[in-house]
Amino acid sequence: MMSAATLLKRTAPVLACVGLLAVWQFASLVLKNDSFPTAIEAIRAVPSILTDKDALINILASLRRMAIGFALALAFSIPLGLMMGRSRAVAAFFNPLLMVIYPVPKAALMPIIMLWLGVGDVSKTLVIFLGVSLPVIYHSFEGAKAVEEKMLWSGAAMGLSAGQRLVRIVLPAALPEILTGCRTGLVLALITMITSEMIARQSGAGNILFNALDMGQYDTVFAMIIIVGMMGICLDAAFERIRARLVRWSEPQFDMPLSFS
Amino acid sequence: MKTNALTGDVLLGLVPIALVIALWQGLVSFGFAPATLLPPPGLVFARLLQQLVTSTFHHEIAATLIRLFGGFSIAVILGVSIGIAAAANPAINAVVRPIVRVLAPLPKVALYPALLLLLGFKHESKIVLVAADALFPILLSTYYGASTVEQKLIWSAMAAGTPRREILFKVVLPAAMPSILTGCRIGLVISCIVVFLAEMITSTDGLGHMLVTAARTFQAVDMFVPLITISLLGLILNGLLQALRSYLLRGFPEA
Amino acid sequence: MIEIDRVSQIFQTSSRKDHLALSDISLTIEDGAFVSILGPSGCGKSTLLYIVGGFVSPTSGLAKMKGKAITGPGPDRGPVFQEFALFPWKTVLGNVMYGPRQQGVRAADAEAQSKALIEMVGLKGYENFYPKELSGGMKQRVALARTLAYHPEVLLMDEPFGALDAHTRTRLQNDLLNIWERDRKTVLFVTHSVEEAVFLSDKVVMMSKSPGRIRQVIDIDLPRPRRRTELLLDPRYQKYVVDIERMFDDSDEPASNP
Repeated sequence: MMSAATLLKRTAPVLACVGLLAVWQFASLVLKNDSFPTAIEAIRAVPSILTDKDALINILASLRRMAIGFALALAFSIPLGLMMGRSRAVAAFFNPLLMVIYPVPKAALMPIIMLWLGVGDVSKTLVIFLGVSLPVIYHSFEGAKAVEEKMLWSGAAMGLSAGQRLVRIVLPAALPEILTGCRTGLVLALITMITSEMIARQSGAGNILFNALDMGQYDTVFAMIIIVGMMGICLDAAFERIRARLVRWSEPQFDMPLSFS
Repeated sequence: MKTNALTGDVLLGLVPIALVIALWQGLVSFGFAPATLLPPPGLVFARLLQQLVTSTFHHEIAATLIRLFGGFSIAVILGVSIGIAAAANPAINAVVRPIVRVLAPLPKVALYPALLLLLGFKHESKIVLVAADALFPILLSTYYGASTVEQKLIWSAMAAGTPRREILFKVVLPAAMPSILTGCRIGLVISCIVVFLAEMITSTDGLGHMLVTAARTFQAVDMFVPLITISLLGLILNGLLQALRSYLLRGFPEA
Repeated sequence: MIEIDRVSQIFQTSSRKDHLALSDISLTIEDGAFVSILGPSGCGKSTLLYIVGGFVSPTSGLAKMKGKAITGPGPDRGPVFQEFALFPWKTVLGNVMYGPRQQGVRAADAEAQSKALIEMVGLKGYENFYPKELSGGMKQRVALARTLAYHPEVLLMDEPFGALDAHTRTRLQNDLLNIWERDRKTVLFVTHSVEEAVFLSDKVVMMSKSPGRIRQVIDIDLPRPRRRTELLLDPRYQKYVVDIERMFDDSDEPASNP
């Protein structure tokens, strides 16, 4: 039997969603603005988008590019971050370059990359790859840097080579931090995907949003916002589950309300 | 000794940047990339310097900066106050926590069309978008910092006669400062990125708009100028924040 | 006078099992007495101190200070923690001045008083240092000065020297006794070191764990002022130490008992 408190805790995010939708509904009724449909109107428009073949293909294509870009970014960034964390020279070599790239909006490279590689999947996947890479490198770097020296000494004493130490000691020890980076990266992948589609205006979920805006189909605009929002929330929740399983051994993630009142 | 190692690191770090510029120059010089697609770096930097003194460019930068600071300031004020309130009060915590869990992973840029409809195409919609994106990292790190304040620090202050309502300002806020500033740093970078993107998606001025206009007319040189400007702007702001951080946290270990 | 009247403390552990940290504790501490609470870790001795400090309210029972029930922290009871708990954003002087300023003392006066205290604890010249620049022993001296600065009637010391190395610990014990000899404040001192308790105290309260109870209260009848080197050779001192250690050995509780 679940106690009332646990039940409340489990359903709190759902309650929050309902609450936010209620605020929206109320605001739209008060404002009575043609371009601001009520929450109920927007939700009603969701099924019509998801059953529209073109729109569905567009959205699925977006998600496929996102998955590929995300996976490639992990394969590239985690080893780089770990090496930076364990070698001062590697870190000194890459840090300034990364610092210069960091504040550049990756999706803003879209027009230039399109100029070079065309408007196809390659450009869009590349932009997502770039967007995801930096936080993952950064967190892997921090995670590897924090690995206790003595753990590596023990490894060396047991006869592990430098490469083996990286894979068998540094990687697992840094895993909680790496996964934090991956979680940020996942949300960023979605953001980069939407934004680059908004800029390129060729296809994808971001394009549907702005086409609807241009054509004055306001309930479609808001319905797409709900769809994209749900994607973000579901992806994050799914990843959080995987993360919690992978690092069960680690300290429980901070989740304690502390009161000093 | 220490400064020597530091200079060594800086020099080593300049190598890849120099390499990138050399590669860039090489690609153009040896004809691998036509100058219309990839203008030589010298041309881009010359163009940047030339632009820096024009009043139109000042206008674009000013527009971007107003949005950037407007949104970032709102995010700092809201993020720090909500974060501290949620750490201090269980009732506020119970309300804030699920809402943050829902809103934090939501791609805020998807809200942009709605903001355009509600707030118009001027500064307001962009400022709100920047604030919405920068808010959560600041809020979460403030909350984390405020709720991990060492209990005995609070007890020490209470025993010295600090009233409960003053504890927030006299102990919790300064003790959470390292984490608040970390959050602000992330929020600032996000602000730079978001303001630029919002201007690219739809705007009549600003650095992002410059890039889009250049892209429409295939002016490759002019496409690079705003990109490099936003990157430099990010570096400068980050440096300023870093200086503020080392001043404010001069007492903390590893500041 | 501090009166602890049938105090019990129950903590809820994560497995939803109630843990009886303190069971029916009654104790009276006279003004000007140096009283140590001695016991193994987990016997609730720190919790008892926090209850007197007003930081934790007991599940049942009552703690009283000068006949009035303790309901919260106050400047009449000054804590010194094992973790030092100095404000990292304030200098040594800023930390020591915090209490007087909070009491409404004028800045110039507070500064003068604080500087005198910093000199008394042997840190003259370190006024503008930040805590991170000090060693553990120095930090604890600052923490002591910070607490003394608001003139508490009672000092509540929670294993204050527990995090220090043996050498520093001895020096701080001596200095604490010297400072205490001047105004003989009431001190409630929590420790798990038998030698430390006997060396410092007029009275040692021995506690046992699971549940936390008072086993015995022993009066330490040794002359003051005490000098460590003389005391170590004193058979009376040695007997106190050995007797107390034997009593703890007899009751050897299983260490793994949560």
